[in-house]
Formats: sequence, structure tokens, C-alpha cells
Amino acid sequence: MKNVFVSVLVMMMTTGQAMAQGVSFEAKVSKRSLGLNERLRVDFIMNENGDDFTPPSFSGFKVFSGPNQSISNSWINGKRSFSKTYTYFLTPTRKGALTIAQATIKIDGETYKTSPIKITVTEAVEVPRDPNSPEYLIDDNLHLVAEISNSRPYLNEAITVVYKLYFRNPLRISDGRAVENPQFADFWSHNIDIPRLKVENATYKGEPYSVVVWKKSVLYPQKTGKLTLEPLSLSLVIDLPSNRRDFFGNRILQQSSRTVTAGRRTINVKPLPEKGKPVNFFGAVGQFNFDALINKNSLKASESFEIKLKVTGNGNLKLFNLPELVLPNTLEVFEPEHSENVKTTLSGMQGNIEDNYTVVPRFQGKYPIAPVSFSYFDPKKEKYFTLRSSEQIVDVYGGPVANNSNDNSSAAIAKQLLTNTDESFRFIKLNPNLEPIVKKEFWNTKLFYALLIFPILLLIAFVLLVQHNHRISNDVEGSRLRVANRLSKKYLGEAKKNLKNKTLFYDALERALFNYLKARLKIKADDFSKDKITEILADKKLAEIEIQSFIALLENCEVARYSPATDAKMQQDFDQALSVISNIDKKL
Amino acid sequence: MRKILMLFLVSFFHCFVAFGQEKDTTFENANAAYNAGQFEKAVMLYKQILESGQHSAELYFNLGNSYYRLNQVGESIFYFEKAKQLQPTDEDINVNSSFAQNMAIDAVEVLPKSQVTQLKDSIIELFSQEGWAYFIVLLAWLLVLFWGLYLWNKIPFIKRTFFVSSLVLALFLIGSLFIAVIKSANTADTTYGILFNEKMEVWAEPNSRAEVLFLLHEGTKVQMLDELQDWQKIRIANGSEGWIKNAKVRSLKGFK
Repeated sequence: MKNVFVSVLVMMMTTGQAMAQGVSFEAKVSKRSLGLNERLRVDFIMNENGDDFTPPSFSGFKVFSGPNQSISNSWINGKRSFSKTYTYFLTPTRKGALTIAQATIKIDGETYKTSPIKITVTEAVEVPRDPNSPEYLIDDNLHLVAEISNSRPYLNEAITVVYKLYFRNPLRISDGRAVENPQFADFWSHNIDIPRLKVENATYKGEPYSVVVWKKSVLYPQKTGKLTLEPLSLSLVIDLPSNRRDFFGNRILQQSSRTVTAGRRTINVKPLPEKGKPVNFFGAVGQFNFDALINKNSLKASESFEIKLKVTGNGNLKLFNLPELVLPNTLEVFEPEHSENVKTTLSGMQGNIEDNYTVVPRFQGKYPIAPVSFSYFDPKKEKYFTLRSSEQIVDVYGGPVANNSNDNSSAAIAKQLLTNTDESFRFIKLNPNLEPIVKKEFWNTKLFYALLIFPILLLIAFVLLVQHNHRISNDVEGSRLRVANRLSKKYLGEAKKNLKNKTLFYDALERALFNYLKARLKIKADDFSKDKITEILADKKLAEIEIQSFIALLENCEVARYSPATDAKMQQDFDQALSVISNIDKKL
Repeated sequence: MRKILMLFLVSFFHCFVAFGQEKDTTFENANAAYNAGQFEKAVMLYKQILESGQHSAELYFNLGNSYYRLNQVGESIFYFEKAKQLQPTDEDINVNSSFAQNMAIDAVEVLPKSQVTQLKDSIIELFSQEGWAYFIVLLAWLLVLFWGLYLWNKIPFIKRTFFVSSLVLALFLIGSLFIAVIKSANTADTTYGILFNEKMEVWAEPNSRAEVLFLLHEGTKVQMLDELQDWQKIRIANGSEGWIKNAKVRSLKGFK
């Protein structure tokens, strides 16, 4: 800055000096600061004709054209004014602070020098500002702009891109076509048709313009991160008034063809927040309503009913799936029919999508249609919402009951189906038949085993007893002997002792016989006579022979007492007595 | 003294009768509530009876019906299964149970059984465990009686009849004992339960690295096979097996 000030000061001083001498030689630049792609005009002006003009080296510049020499010489009121100019058009070759060095000229033998000029070369400017060129005119008055509704949308949130062509006088556009249509990679895009291009009035950067909406697109970003929108390029034929005029004085229009592009734009797509994301979120973004509709709540088996899952609203309707319907497996469900009624406008997709399930129940009963939940993200409220359909019950009547028994053959099932056709849900039972829950176990208890073993033991005991009895009744000889022994022991014991002594023996034998009768027949001892005995024994229905043998024995005893008898005879009598007694005993 | 004792006895019996009657009136009230459509109330009353320590197939059946009316699949199936345990052959129970099964989301196809196992099952299911025990004891007594008669009798024809019939009885006795032993072993080994989770993933292994084999829903009858930490190994009626985590499975064993 200081440098500039100093140089200006020096320049003023030199001009002052030149003025004083009446000769001036100076350098003028069209601008002091310019872009790399702009041009600079340098004029070296003198007021006296000189020669041997030496231009500076123009380091850092390239001479675009020049030197062009122009001389003006005029006489006004006898006063001459003269100027001679050398003009150069320069283009800078590098950025930075450059200096246009001194030029020299000889006027009347003296050498004059211009002062050096500092030029700042900046970055290339987008539009080389040359107001005289038609290009500049076009650039200044024609703008292709991509308007993006939201450059930081959420994933799957609708954004709109509108390409507008602004232009103003003196330009007129006579034709145009798109050279390159942008491909919206990573977006779901929808172009909104524009039937006729319409010119409207609008303002652009505060100035009145005419505007044509060239293209409208609705975009749903499908990826997060920075996404680039490819620019739209238009090839336009532009009518431009030239400086020439026709015969009638109207300006002659000059046609020029020009390609304009809307700049490359980037969009930063935000991911949907993880916080509070429902489990059953399928990517619906927008504002929605959700409903599950059933067209019949009660129907006959083998008729069909429909369940409609419907999402209505505003959002990425075509870009997500509807939640799936969970139904009892005993229902026959056909593949859902998907239908969409979606209009895409600048504000996004609007309308409804629905899945239509056709269901045929084959068995009667109640079928719960489980509630279906649908979740979406509202980018405006930046929150997730979950909508639930209400639980509904479909009542099916008049059909067969599903067969859940263990029959495995299909024939059996078919049979069952036929017989069960009119089965209905049974009423509750009215008889409680209650019993304690803590039941006395019987299986595997001691009582059980005892009851099981006891009869077997009983049987064994019974068998033993029977066998024992059997043995006894079979042994006839033995039993007689046992009876005889018992009798002999009881009555004939004494007699037996005296087998050696004849008198005593018979005495005892006789007594034994009487005693036996006394005990057996319960008669008094005094009135024993043979007749009496015979009578009594006959009363007891004894056989004549037995009575006779008893009497005979008694007589024998009497006789034997006084007659000689052998031991053998005594033994014989004893045995006979025994047999008689046991015989009588049996009969009595 | 004697009078007092009598009084005491009478009041004691009276107590018992009153107790039983109270149960009956609760049951009747519950039935009335059911009939009036107040299924929650019916459930509550039926449960009161259960809590007082009494049960019956009829009670479970009515509970199952009430839950069916309330659209509670799991509970309904659970109580029908309980009813079936007590009375496996009752037609009403089987019909309504299949209604409840219809309501469940899973329809598990029952694994087909061979005719031999079918026959075996039908024989085993003929009586309950206690039934078989009583039957065995009865057979044992009959056998002893017949054998005794066979021994006792002298007439050859009757003797022969008793001998043959007691032989048959002995065969029956051995068979029944065998069946009862098998049955008690079966019931000791297998525990069934009803799944109460609305939705349950069944995994191939008891860890979440394994894959999900299939999904089960409320009301499915599962057989519990094994346990490892939070995981339970189950088998469903179609023979598929898998592991479930932290599942609400209510066991059908016991009467609680």
C-alpha cells in the first residue's frame, strides 16, 4: 500500500515536471488488479511526437496484441493539441504482484521515461470481465441456477432440485436443448414433467429477470454422506443485439451459441438417528398413517376375507416395504397383492400404498389377527413414530374343526373332516367333580406293593393248607391207626400195661369197655347189664354185628378171667377190643 | 358326655359338607358368570377353586373355555392340555382344544406315528397311572381267587375253566405291570410345556452365534429336553428341536 502511495506520488511529481516542460510521456493501465484470465490494456501516451519508442519487457505478461499506434492531431482555435499512443493488450502469465517497467522515448533529443506500474494479478475470475465482448454480455445477463430445497436432508427425505434459467435484456433466447442431463446416482429421482416452458418474471440477486423453469426433480437420497449432483448443461442459441443497425435504424441481432452449466452441487445426507430406532423400522421416512382393514369379521369357513394393510401419507412411499402380516398357520393366505396410488409432486410422493391379503379359513374357530406395527421417521420432527393396528378377531363358523389329533393318514383326516362338519365350540361343563390336587399316589407306594403281594401270600398259604388236608384225607389206614391209638391210650392203657397178668388184664379190659360206653354214651355205671347195653347201642342204630361183637367181647372177658388163657389169646382179645371200640366210635 | 360327642361329630361333618358346598357354589357362580359373558370374572372364580387346592378336568376345561373367549391363546391351550391330562378321551375337551389350537399362530404338523407306537400309546393311555395301579391290584386278587377256586374244586370241568382263566389273568397281570412301569418311566422322562412368549426364535445352538432355525409363537406345546444357563432345548410335535433363550414356558407337569 505504501509502495503504491509512493509510486503515485512519484508519478504526480513527474507529470507535474512534464507539464512544466510542456512534454509529457506517461503509461496508463486499464486496471491495477486483474484475474489471471483477464486482459490488461496498457497505453503509453505522449503529447509531443517522439521517436525511438522502446516498450518495456513486460515480464510476467504475454503480449496479446499490440503495439497499436494511434496519433491524434487537432487544431482548435489556433491551438494544437497532439497525442500519440502506443497500446498493448497483455495477458498475465502468473499470479502475484507484477510491475510494468519503464518505457523510453526520445523527444527532441531528450529521453523521457514512464514510471513503472505495479499490477496485482489475482486468481482467475470466473467471468473474464470484459464488458465490451458479447461473451461478457451473455455472462452477465444469463444465469442457470440449480435450486436445492434442502442441502442437508436425512436419508430418504425428499429434496427437490429446480433448474432455472434467468436472463434479462438485451438477451433473447431463441433455442435451447440439454446437452447433458444430470444423472442422479445414489438418488431415487423423479422428474416432474414440464409440458411447456414458460417465461415468467422474477428477481435474481435483487434485479429483475425473466425466468424459465427448465427442469424439476424430486430426489430421495439413498446413501449417506456427501453426494454430488452432476451439473445440467444447456446449449442455447442466444440473440444478441449488435452495434450495427439496419436500414430502418433497428439494431441487427447477432446470433451466438453458448453452453451454460449449472455448477456442481454437493449434498450432505445425514443418516437417520440410531437413537430410538424401532426394531421394525423398514426405512419409511415422511408423515404417514397406517391401518389394517378387514372386510369381514365373521364368515363361513371356506369363504374368503381380505386384510388390507394401508399406508397413507407423504414420504418415500415407493421406497419401503409394508410390514408383514402374521396370521395363524391354519389359515390359508395368498400372496399379498401390492397396489400403489402415489403422485409425485414437488413436495415429494403423496398417496397410499397397500398390501391386500386374501385369506381363506378352512376350519371354524376364532382367529386373532395380530396387531401389525409400522414405524416411520418424521424428518420434520426428527423423531421415530410407531403406529399399531388394533387387534381384531375373525370368527369363522360352520366349517369343520381343525384336526389336531394324532391321526396320520390323510384318509383318516378326510374322514374326520367329513364327520366333524357341524362341530361347534362346546359349552362349559356344569358338574365340577372336584378332587384334591394333591392326590394320594397309589402306584409305587407301600400299600400298592402290599396289596399286590398279600393275595399271593394268601394263595400260597391256601395251597399249603389244601395240600395238607389232602394228604390227611388220602391216608385212610393211618388215620384209623391214629384213632385206635388215641382210644387205646385213653381206655385200654391200663389193660395194655397188664398184658402179662391174665386176671388183671381182663379185669382192666372189662372196665375199659364199660368206661368207654359210660364216657361215650353218658350212662350211669350202676345199671350196666348186657341187655341194657344192647338196648342202648341199638338205640344208637348200631349194626347187629357190632353190638354182638361188643357183647361177645364182654362175655369173653368174664369167661377168660376163670379159664386158662395164653398170652396170644390176650393179645388177640386186646386187638379185638380195640377194633370194636374204634368201629363203634366211628358210628356213634 | 355322649351327647356332646355326638354334637361335635355332627358339627364336624356339617363343616365338611359346608366346605364342599361352598366349592360348588363358587363353581356355579363361575359358570353363571361365563354364561353371562363375564369371562374375566369366571376365570377369577375358577382360579379361586384351583387355589383352594382342588381341581378336575371339568374345572380346567371351563378355564380353557373362558380364556378362549378372552382370546388368550396361551392360557387357553394350557388349560385344555391340563384337562386332557386328567381326561384324555373326553370329546368336549378335545373339540374345544382344537379350537384353541386353531387360534395359535403355529400349526405344528404332528409327526406321523407308526402303527406299533400308535397301538402302544393307545394301550398306555387306557388308564391313568393310578388306574393302572388299581387295575394291577384287582388282577392280582382275581388271580388268587381263581387259582384258589381251581385248587378247591373237584369237578374236572370247573377246575379246568378256573385254571385257564387264572392263567389268562396272570398274563394280564404281568402285561399290566409292564405297561405301568413303562408309563411311569415315560412321564418321569418327558416334560411338556406351553410357550407363553408372543414370539420366540429357536436357535440351532445355545448361543447367539448360531443360526435361527424357526420361529415359534404363543401357545405352542413344546417338550423340554435340556437346559444350559438361560437356554432351554425343546422339541416340538413335528420333531424339530432347537434352543430357546429365556423363554416363558409353563410346565404341564404337576398341578399348579
